[in-house]
Amino acid sequence: MRLPESDALLAEARTLTEAYKSGGQGAARAFRELTALLFRLTILAPEGGVRLFSGPRGHMDFVLGGWRGPDDPLPLTDGRFLRLTVRLCVTPPTEGSRLKVEASSYQYQVDREGIRWIFRYDYLRNPPDPYPSAHVQVCGSLVEDCLPHDTSLERVHFPTARVSLEAVIRLLADQFGTPCHREPELWRPVFAETERAFLEIAHRPLGGPER
Amino acid sequence: MTDDGAVIELNRDEIVQRIEQGARRRLRMSASELVQAYRSGRLKDPGAVADLLALASLLAESDPLFAPA
Repeated sequence: MRLPESDALLAEARTLTEAYKSGGQGAARAFRELTALLFRLTILAPEGGVRLFSGPRGHMDFVLGGWRGPDDPLPLTDGRFLRLTVRLCVTPPTEGSRLKVEASSYQYQVDREGIRWIFRYDYLRNPPDPYPSAHVQVCGSLVEDCLPHDTSLERVHFPTARVSLEAVIRLLADQFGTPCHREPELWRPVFAETERAFLEIAHRPLGGPER
Repeated sequence: MTDDGAVIELNRDEIVQRIEQGARRRLRMSASELVQAYRSGRLKDPGAVADLLALASLLAESDPLFAPA
């Protein structure tokens, strides 16, 4: 079933995708608008929003986060929260003025403070520690007693490929039952389009340190 | 919520204050201890404070917060 707004939404998503892929001054804003669109169609509570923040480092470095800051998680339609943190930078003109994601973190949590978190996907382009650049952690316990005595499951960093925001929202909508504002017939094609575009250019890290 | 596309500029004091509060509440350490531990690879679960580390990334590289104690 094709909904009347489908074409307009797809066109909007394509325009924003092209804008962030083009780089330059407007790339980070386009990335924010696209992120806001994905959330608005699906799992963001009406009082939530995403914003870009900058600081003394300059106007080419940004953090995308919740309404009041990266430390302000997004309220979701299921009453829980997603702490969204994406570090963005625009490379110098000599490097093409491209928009790069330096780090991202998506943490699903029960409380605003994040003490009762459920899972977290992290990506760090240049990690200073030995953990995989892209990994998932789950706050839970294993049925089998198989971890070293000083390690709990939540401290295990399972390596992953790059995981998109689209994948995380789908996971919540489809498997955690987080209600969506609009029908899947409307948002799924948009997500497919934007995720494909992201994965085409996303940095693909190794599963651990080279040395 | 109004979909405001403006970039919010945070000044140094705001950033450091937020990192300080978050680090003390969650890890019982100072902002300076947090960034030092992270940069030296000694922070056990950096993802847990990814939001605070992202805030730190908005500070100038020459910021005193990054200076070794």
